[in-house]
Amino acid sequence: MGFWERLLKIDRKIIFIVMAVLVLFPLLKPLGLGVGSGPRAKAVFDAVDSIPPGKTLLISVDFDPASMPELYPMLVALMRHAFARDVRVLLCGLWITGAGLADKAVTEIAPEYGKEYGRDVVYLGWKAGVDAVILGMGENIKNVFSVDYYGHPLDSLPMMQEVTRLRDIPFMVAISAGTPGFSDWLLYGHSRYGLRVGAGVTAVSAADAYPYLQTGQLTGLLAGMKGAAEYEVLVQRHNYSKAYMPAVAAMDSQSLAHIVILVLVVIGNIAFFVTRKRGR
Amino acid sequence: MGVITLLLTLVLNQASPPVILARDTPDDAGKSITIRWQLTGEEVPEGLILERGDTTGCFQVLGVLSSTETGFVDEDVCDGVGYYYRLGAVFGADTVWSEPTPLVKSAPQWFNRARLNILIAMLVFFALVIYFIEHAKAGRYLFIRRIAGLDAVDEAVGRATEMGKPIVYVPGLGSVADIATIASLNIMGEVAKKTAQYDSALLVPNRDPIVYTVAREVVKEAYTRAGRPDAFRPDNIFYVTSEQFAYAAAVDGLMVREKPATNFFLGTFWAESLILAETGATTGAIQIAGTDSVFQLPFFITACDYTLIGEELYAASAYLSREPLLLGSLKGQDFGKLLILVVIVLSSILLLLSRISGLQFLSAIIKFFNVS
Amino acid sequence: MRRTLPLAICLIMGIVMMVQFFVPHPISVGFYDLTTKWIRIVSAFALVLGVGSLILYHIDRLQRKRPGWAYSIVTLIALVGTAITGLGWGVKPGAPLQEIIFKNILVPLNASMFAILAFYMASAAYRAFRARTKEAALLLIAAFLVMLGMVPVGAAIWGKLPDVAEWILSVPNMAAKRAILFGVALGAIATSLKVILGIERGWLGGGK
Repeated sequence: MGFWERLLKIDRKIIFIVMAVLVLFPLLKPLGLGVGSGPRAKAVFDAVDSIPPGKTLLISVDFDPASMPELYPMLVALMRHAFARDVRVLLCGLWITGAGLADKAVTEIAPEYGKEYGRDVVYLGWKAGVDAVILGMGENIKNVFSVDYYGHPLDSLPMMQEVTRLRDIPFMVAISAGTPGFSDWLLYGHSRYGLRVGAGVTAVSAADAYPYLQTGQLTGLLAGMKGAAEYEVLVQRHNYSKAYMPAVAAMDSQSLAHIVILVLVVIGNIAFFVTRKRGR
Repeated sequence: MGVITLLLTLVLNQASPPVILARDTPDDAGKSITIRWQLTGEEVPEGLILERGDTTGCFQVLGVLSSTETGFVDEDVCDGVGYYYRLGAVFGADTVWSEPTPLVKSAPQWFNRARLNILIAMLVFFALVIYFIEHAKAGRYLFIRRIAGLDAVDEAVGRATEMGKPIVYVPGLGSVADIATIASLNIMGEVAKKTAQYDSALLVPNRDPIVYTVAREVVKEAYTRAGRPDAFRPDNIFYVTSEQFAYAAAVDGLMVREKPATNFFLGTFWAESLILAETGATTGAIQIAGTDSVFQLPFFITACDYTLIGEELYAASAYLSREPLLLGSLKGQDFGKLLILVVIVLSSILLLLSRISGLQFLSAIIKFFNVS
Repeated sequence: MRRTLPLAICLIMGIVMMVQFFVPHPISVGFYDLTTKWIRIVSAFALVLGVGSLILYHIDRLQRKRPGWAYSIVTLIALVGTAITGLGWGVKPGAPLQEIIFKNILVPLNASMFAILAFYMASAAYRAFRARTKEAALLLIAAFLVMLGMVPVGAAIWGKLPDVAEWILSVPNMAAKRAILFGVALGAIATSLKVILGIERGWLGGGK
């Protein structure tokens, strides 16, 4: 078997090792390839930036640990942006497996800005029945969530005296890894209660959100790791945070991973054409 | 008419009262009144106060709103009870009140007119499908194009028999409420008949408990119908877990251990599609995949030998069984698609024409196609 | 009877649920809520059957010492351990189910499985992305541009590359996706109709 034939039948373990090394390397030693800011991430940023201090940003945590690397940085960056501007944050979720992730964000990010649970941030938790939950929140949040994730009655939380239903919320971001997700918030929250919705999605499902952007139903979009990195950059550029930017750091890895795949595809095709020519 | 007169009389007055209209929210379950208003005069108020009154004439504040708002939906009302509404425009210390609206009552409706277009489309489509089913019943020939992935089913099952290895059938990760799962269960019946005839082992790992119970019945029935009830092994159809990636890991493990001759991935899939298909590819199995999850199609196309794209999955049971009734419905689907294409082209033309002055009325026709 | 009853239930409920979609009245909404509750209850019972199947399957594997039988021990211990933790200490925040099983086991395991995708994508792309035909070459070029345009390196090579990638995603890609979705939607409606009318009986095990 010649060189090119062997290349065509390369052991996939070699591909895995190359990929692992090139993904790990920038995480240990950042390359600083830089991230710009796209118009879609900027639209989400502007929408959060236009919320008056004291008002509330709703974030729906509709993802599970599997998509955490891509979506969790969005949640953190959004919370930092809101807290830095004294905007209150209300969290809820349509995925039961996202409950622990929202709890982690509340317990870790709020103290960074000296924010108090119940006054500046509330996590409602998860409830079964997607449409019923959103429609119910449109009428009265307390009808759906009588207590928050931690078991406190909503009546005992000062923030929830002012936020009683979706109409009290100027903007929301649904961070979704699939269904249920942002499309349900659009279907029930936006169309019925006029809730302005932005979305954060995994890169693979970003194309699904484009039609909603084109029609203006979605205010903005954070697409995958790139969207998260763009948001982190915007938050830092406006001096809302100086914290470590995990998505920006991961973008170096992602860039190299894309390059690895592209190089492999090119090599594979050269080998394919050479062997085909010889075969003739 | 009264509203127009009111608008005309007030339009030149600077700190003039707003004009307010209230009506029962249409096409809803009741307990909702929609209030709309228009500010008159040139001076923009600092804020708006919306009040609701009952039949005793006593008004209570409903909300303090910004002057940019033009409407409010009052969902804190009782059906059949009369309410009045009035709006105050705040100019410094002064509040200019609108005339109270006429008495308005909320009521639930029995038909959602906003969905009339869906009803019409559904009835037309049903009529088409039923017409072609009747057409097929009459014994007329219906052409169905070749679907490579389905032609390969016989070969795939035969290969398993020759190699003495099992077949793994993954009915997707969806619930039984997903049409793709139902389609997959239909195909599973046909595949199970063939495995019963060829005497191959059919392994069905399940992610949904309801799908698991249905899948077991489907396979059992297929074995009975093939005249091989004795060959049915209930243990081969089993429940794994509802957790997405734990399920993917379990199926990967199954494929690596059992080295199946053929893998079927038919149904609803999410991010685990490539994990399953790529592991299957490394074990050297023939792989036939099919899904209506558009995002997962590229992964299956890349890693599997045959892929049923979208509706081909639904067509599979008709294709495999060649039952005229099922084939007839496929023809109905095709005409449904033709109808959609005609609507899209016509709507696009109308939309373009509606931009020409004098033809704006055409946009009302396009609005009919909006879905709510 | 064994076949007629499910078909009759399917026909009646199918038509009723179709009508329900067009009726906003509280009676209709209440009925919808009721049926969704029924679905949850039925699912709970089915879960019992599922867990039963899981236990029997793995006990059988252990008894017959089938290949990889040791993993069955892990599965059974995990099943019993999780059930005891959940029933004993509850599912509230701070409970061992959340703190140990969710945060320290489920989260890293799920993330690891998802991360495998990066490796599998590379190997699958290497094997499958060959310009065998003109169509395959076109697909290859499009994939090349999108992959490069989606990372900062792409913009560094050529400033317009992200725009090209966006265009490919939102115009030709979207057009193809919508075409597939039309087919999927009509296929789903036709399949539903066939199931409701009892023409499609594969889900009952086939037969007349």
